[in-house]
Amino acid sequence: MSASVTRPAGTEQGSGVVQETRPQTVIVIDDDRAMRLSCQKVLSKAGFAVETFETGSAGLEAIATLKPILAVVDLKMPGISGMEVIARIHEIDPQVVIVVITGYATIDTAVEAIKSGAYDFVPKPFSPDELRLIVNRGLEHRRLILASHQAEMERELLKRRFITFVSHQLQTPLVAIHQYLDVLRHLESPDPAKTREWLDRCLTRTEEIQAIIKDWLTLSKLEGGTLAGQRVKVDVKRILAEILGSYEVLAGEDSLTLEQQFTEQDCCVAGDPSCVGVLFDNLIVNAIKYNKPGGKVTVTVERTPDEIVVSVGDTGIGIPEKYRQMLFQEFFRIQEERKTPGTGLGLAISKRVVSEMGGSISVESEVGVGSTFRVRLLAWREPQQ
Amino acid sequence: MSARATVLVIDDDQDCRASIRYLLEDRGYSVIEAGGAREGLKKVTEQRPDLILLDVMMECDSAGYSVAHAIKYREEFSGCRNVPVIMLSSIQESPDQLFAMSPESEMIRPDLYLAKPLDATALTDAVERLLEVRPSPAVKAS
Repeated sequence: MSASVTRPAGTEQGSGVVQETRPQTVIVIDDDRAMRLSCQKVLSKAGFAVETFETGSAGLEAIATLKPILAVVDLKMPGISGMEVIARIHEIDPQVVIVVITGYATIDTAVEAIKSGAYDFVPKPFSPDELRLIVNRGLEHRRLILASHQAEMERELLKRRFITFVSHQLQTPLVAIHQYLDVLRHLESPDPAKTREWLDRCLTRTEEIQAIIKDWLTLSKLEGGTLAGQRVKVDVKRILAEILGSYEVLAGEDSLTLEQQFTEQDCCVAGDPSCVGVLFDNLIVNAIKYNKPGGKVTVTVERTPDEIVVSVGDTGIGIPEKYRQMLFQEFFRIQEERKTPGTGLGLAISKRVVSEMGGSISVESEVGVGSTFRVRLLAWREPQQ
Repeated sequence: MSARATVLVIDDDQDCRASIRYLLEDRGYSVIEAGGAREGLKKVTEQRPDLILLDVMMECDSAGYSVAHAIKYREEFSGCRNVPVIMLSSIQESPDQLFAMSPESEMIRPDLYLAKPLDATALTDAVERLLEVRPSPAVKAS
């Protein structure tokens, strides 16, 4: 079950191009009229809307309404000092990039200005090219700030959504358990057989919670890079045979056949054995869970000169086209299949492991016929002597 | 009450349905179950329940609302319009607030919201109260 009721809107946006939402306005604050005019001329030509101000206070008053992307500020002005103007501009609007003009070209003043929040400085006298260069560099800096700000926000939204999902996933079984216990406590003389049945259900639902937590922890370890960091020689065929062996009983319950078609060739990869195990375990469990009674699970291992290709095929319900894009997303579950127990994290984990190992995972499926998941991993190479 | 009142429980979690069913049967009600919105609507017309317990998040996040909306506005449910509906939800925010922005929120407002996990006493009290105040008992189809 998904919980997108509380999901913030617009979280699906990719981290593509950063949108500049402001008009390309640059302000120039300088008491020297000739300087104002020449700056205006150069920057207008470069495509900016330019507003000039004779004093710091006049410029500051305009910041809130003009919302400039950049301010060129003369450091030496009568009235409010350039240094103070810099600080006050950022009090009003921290997103404005400030470039200072310094008349007496001492490095100390420039450094002081940068400490106060200016991004860069241009010493007088300067050529039109120098001004353009410094302004463009300032704007590049602004784009970087906006981009990192946006990336930060996207991460935050994703995290919040993830927490909402996990909470809901945990809450569903907890609600069921709570209600059983509450009703049992409430009944004067509950039927012992019923009590027994309900306690069993409570235990089953507890296991569901444990599975979610286990998957969640695996995922967060993968995210932190602590799980998939190890790179040792892992025999893919051996791991697959072990997994298939461990599911014989489960498959037998639904009269499923587990078939392995392994190449004779050596099929080792570089990775962490437990991660590789989790990766294939998830695929094989799915192939069993979402199969039809009497169906078949076929695990094939092939090798190309560079790659090991593992396919896990089932004869199950198939995955409708519309769901294939979302299949590997955390907590995604096909609506029609919600009755089958699952955490919605298995494929997300498998995908994460595969990408950590520099491989790829894909799916082919036909509704009503079955699905095949194919994993490609780089073949093991003996370290050069 | 002359005949036993029938309560329809629409919830996609079989364990939630099981505990509610047992509790209500213990209190003398007759209980029927549906595991989703579509099945729920089918049982509304076929079995004419006297009260409906309706989970909000089922096939999709607002499946419960579509059920409530159908009962109140679709022609084939005209005979069940006055059946009291109790909506069940485990989301922390009041669904009433959550959907307040929607122009349809007024149209789908149930008679009562109860938070999951349900409190046994609160549920039985609410069921009893809503069945008492209903204007006239629903006419049974058969």
